[in-house]
Amino acid sequence: MRSKLFAKKTMALTMAALMAMGALAGCGSKSEEPAPAEAPAETGGDQAEAPAESTGEGVTIKFQYWADNTDYSQLMQDIIAKFNAENGKGITVVGEEAPWDGGSYSENLFNAKMGGGDVDVSTWKLTSTPLFVNNDLLADLTPFIDAWDKKDDIDQNMYDVMKQAGGSDSIYVMPWNVQVLYVYYRPSIFEQAQIEVPTTYEEFLTAIEKCTLDTDGDGKTDVYGFGMRGSNGGQEPWGSFVHGRGGSFEDMTTAESIQGMQDFIDIYNKGFVPPSAAGDGFQQIIDNFKSGLTAMTIHHTGSSAQMVETFGDDVSAFPFPAGKGQWTSMGDTETVIFESCENKEAAFEWVAYLAAGEGQKMWCEGTGNVPVSKTVQAGDFFQNDRFMKASIDGQSYAGILPILDTTTEWISTIWPETMSQALTGKLSAEEAMNTLQEELYR
Amino acid sequence: MVKKRSIWPYLLVAPAVLVILCVVFVPVINAILMSFQSYDLRRPKDIGFTGLANYIEALGDAKFQSAFFKTIIWVVAGVGFQFLFGFMLALLLNKSFKGRGVVRAVSMIPWVTPGVLIGLMWSWIYDGNRGVLNDILMKLHLINDKIPFLAQDGTAFPGVIVTIIWQGIPFFALMLLAALQGVSTDMYEAADIDGAVGWQKLFYITIPSIKNTIFVTALLRVIWVANSVDVIFNMTEGRFGTLTMSVYVYQKGNALDLGYASAMAIIMALCLLVVAIPYLRSNFREEG
Amino acid sequence: MKKQTGIKRIFTLYLPLIIIMLFILFPFYWTFVTSVKPEEELYGAVVTYWPSHITFEAYRKLFTTTVDFLTAMKNSLIVAVSTTIVSLTVSTLAAYAFSRYRFAGRKFLMCVFLCNNMFPTVLLLIPLYSIMRSLGLLYSHTSLVLSYTTFTIPFSVWLLLGFLNDLPMSLEEAALIDGCNRGNAFIKIILPILGPCLVATGVYIFMQSWNEYTFAMMFTNAETRTIPVALKNLIGQLGVQWDLLTAGGIITIIPVCIMFFFAQKRLVEGLTAGAVKG
Repeated sequence: MRSKLFAKKTMALTMAALMAMGALAGCGSKSEEPAPAEAPAETGGDQAEAPAESTGEGVTIKFQYWADNTDYSQLMQDIIAKFNAENGKGITVVGEEAPWDGGSYSENLFNAKMGGGDVDVSTWKLTSTPLFVNNDLLADLTPFIDAWDKKDDIDQNMYDVMKQAGGSDSIYVMPWNVQVLYVYYRPSIFEQAQIEVPTTYEEFLTAIEKCTLDTDGDGKTDVYGFGMRGSNGGQEPWGSFVHGRGGSFEDMTTAESIQGMQDFIDIYNKGFVPPSAAGDGFQQIIDNFKSGLTAMTIHHTGSSAQMVETFGDDVSAFPFPAGKGQWTSMGDTETVIFESCENKEAAFEWVAYLAAGEGQKMWCEGTGNVPVSKTVQAGDFFQNDRFMKASIDGQSYAGILPILDTTTEWISTIWPETMSQALTGKLSAEEAMNTLQEELYR
Repeated sequence: MVKKRSIWPYLLVAPAVLVILCVVFVPVINAILMSFQSYDLRRPKDIGFTGLANYIEALGDAKFQSAFFKTIIWVVAGVGFQFLFGFMLALLLNKSFKGRGVVRAVSMIPWVTPGVLIGLMWSWIYDGNRGVLNDILMKLHLINDKIPFLAQDGTAFPGVIVTIIWQGIPFFALMLLAALQGVSTDMYEAADIDGAVGWQKLFYITIPSIKNTIFVTALLRVIWVANSVDVIFNMTEGRFGTLTMSVYVYQKGNALDLGYASAMAIIMALCLLVVAIPYLRSNFREEG
Repeated sequence: MKKQTGIKRIFTLYLPLIIIMLFILFPFYWTFVTSVKPEEELYGAVVTYWPSHITFEAYRKLFTTTVDFLTAMKNSLIVAVSTTIVSLTVSTLAAYAFSRYRFAGRKFLMCVFLCNNMFPTVLLLIPLYSIMRSLGLLYSHTSLVLSYTTFTIPFSVWLLLGFLNDLPMSLEEAALIDGCNRGNAFIKIILPILGPCLVATGVYIFMQSWNEYTFAMMFTNAETRTIPVALKNLIGQLGVQWDLLTAGGIITIIPVCIMFFFAQKRLVEGLTAGAVKG
């Protein structure tokens, strides 16, 4: 009896505490509101902040990025240091590294921003744009870009892609670098299999079959024709198969699209790819290629340095060949400025430095990514590299997945799950494609 | 036992209650409220009260139903074997032998290993191409072809269960070892005089003497394992038949469909409560 | 205790111990081997059980590059030790109250403590972040200590409660009859007997806070980031840096094991070191 009474008292007490906490922390219901507490201070503040800069008073920009390895991490620190030393406007960029976390970088960033986090600028993936734009977290960069003297150094097509991602005529995302997927192959294995570099989609399928080899005659496959990415991120190379048959992402349930899916399933079932393919992500396809287990795999210039380190001349690349259609995935990395940033002018100086300034050159040369700046692209470094060449050749038909608010979940969960079921025979090609279509356009 | 009204117990529990109130109370209430709304942050304009819609959707969701049964297997097999091996280890480490201190220290390794590393390390061991497990099995001629353990339906779930067992053994070993220190040696001596053999002493003295610890550790571990995400997520991301409720909640939470994720999480918490109730009742009944 | 015969000892002690330890230690061994293997061998077609030549390059890189593992270790240590002290003190008090007093609201609170950890943290992140920011704790060690204590206290209270309920009440009652007051009885009798259990619970708290990733990633920056975040930074879009990651793992494991080696001595001292012997 008494305990019941006390329970009531406790409830009352906790409710009081809740209210106190609510007032103190300004959370709970407030957390739904995208605008953090400091937002009012900076509304209409771009001009107001400008004098602070011109008088040489220091402004600090908090920049968050992920690094794909420790070398790139160092490179980014070097670029930041150089910018801080040379910008001459009293801007100090403070770089904060955050884990890529298998792509959860964006969700982690989102949680922090919704909780009122103070990051000003961040590196970016286009796919997260709808989420952030829908919650009014990103700054509209259109006025800054229009006033930018180097605007034309970046192809108009890039800006259009950025606009599409935001779903309006405003540009919320600043181009930085791209990665065009192409096919890596081992010339020595091609020689062994007596084939030439494929020029059509059908030839490519044949090449996969012919490069599946039993080199020591023990009845087991020692070299697989193709390193399939059946797990995370696999939608990119897979998209090339779908388009190779004439299908598209807009309607994945057409006969052509389904045929592309069927090709993908077939090469798995016929044993032309490693049996682990259904669970293979980036790490595995690269490891398998580097250990000589696969003859071909699809990736971009981000891995070309380690390929050359492993194989020297015995590795090369060709653009994904054309069938009824032709498509390759354009991977992307951009930067954004958040609406909560108090010095957007200064922040723009920094993202512009990365997009078309010294930062662009340093980053792309150091990482082997394809620059967006035409001036930088024209440099010797990018003209004389066989992998860059395959990338630049693929640029004309490179594309991205339709960017909707469902895309992130589709990439991280739906596609890999559906694909694993299709490869293990639980779903037919048609059923799998229906699921994929339905979930993307939900 | 003190039954009279006293301010002391309240003062003693106050700090603990205060910390919990300060930190999780508001977020939990917030999550409970979200579960009654269409609360998908990808579509913030559609946020609104929907009553029990999320709950009804979850109960009819085939993926959630299958995850429910997977969770039962995951918890029963995971915690069961953790306990079994952990208890054995505790009994062994309670005996005196040379180098016991070192063995005790190194037996804690799975627990010390950062969660980030556990999933990756085990995936590396299970790897279908360069994995050491495949290599050992081939060398022993137990298999002819390499098995992609984590990339096919039959083997992925046992694979992740073995990993969680590995990770949880030290917890039980340590807790039970600590409890064993409180068992009075008098009783064993009396039993020796009566001519009791090893297993009799185990079942009639050891286990009854530490039964509270056994129940508590098992219950806490059930809650912990049911909620654990990182092992499965780092190894299979919930594919190939390894999707448990907590991983499904994590996926939906990460996709920012927070309303649906919260509803599923609450259903899961209720299931765990059902498991905990018999223990709580017997605990309170014994106290009178 | 009687000395057992040799063969019996092998079957009841050494053999099962070796089997369990093999299972426990193999992944650790494999982590170590991976950390000292040169890269060619790591990705080679043949699996080697001991590297053909050992390289400690990865260990050097951990401390000299942007990974800055030393800072991460220092942060992890500060956070884990503080959490252990705070959480253990608070939980011992609460557990003692639950175990030795009957008071209104007791059962309710015990249930609340049990349910506290049933809710997945991924759903609490946004409001939690907001709380930490409003309290001005973001990027500080305190934010981690505060959030870890929240999640370790309930479990620790229950663990200690289990231990306390298993302990015979007779000693304490005897002391009370002898005229000790409750506080003295607690310090002189309960604490020494509870020694091993406090060590075990302390280890539990330490491990939880040493290894936690999600909060650590949300609430820290470069200066305050802990080991799990530093390790996670080694997994980029371009794959896992196996050598660095495993080296980091080994460096994380070894000091804790050494600390535990000294702590475990307290595990047996509890009863024998107590002021009153049974």
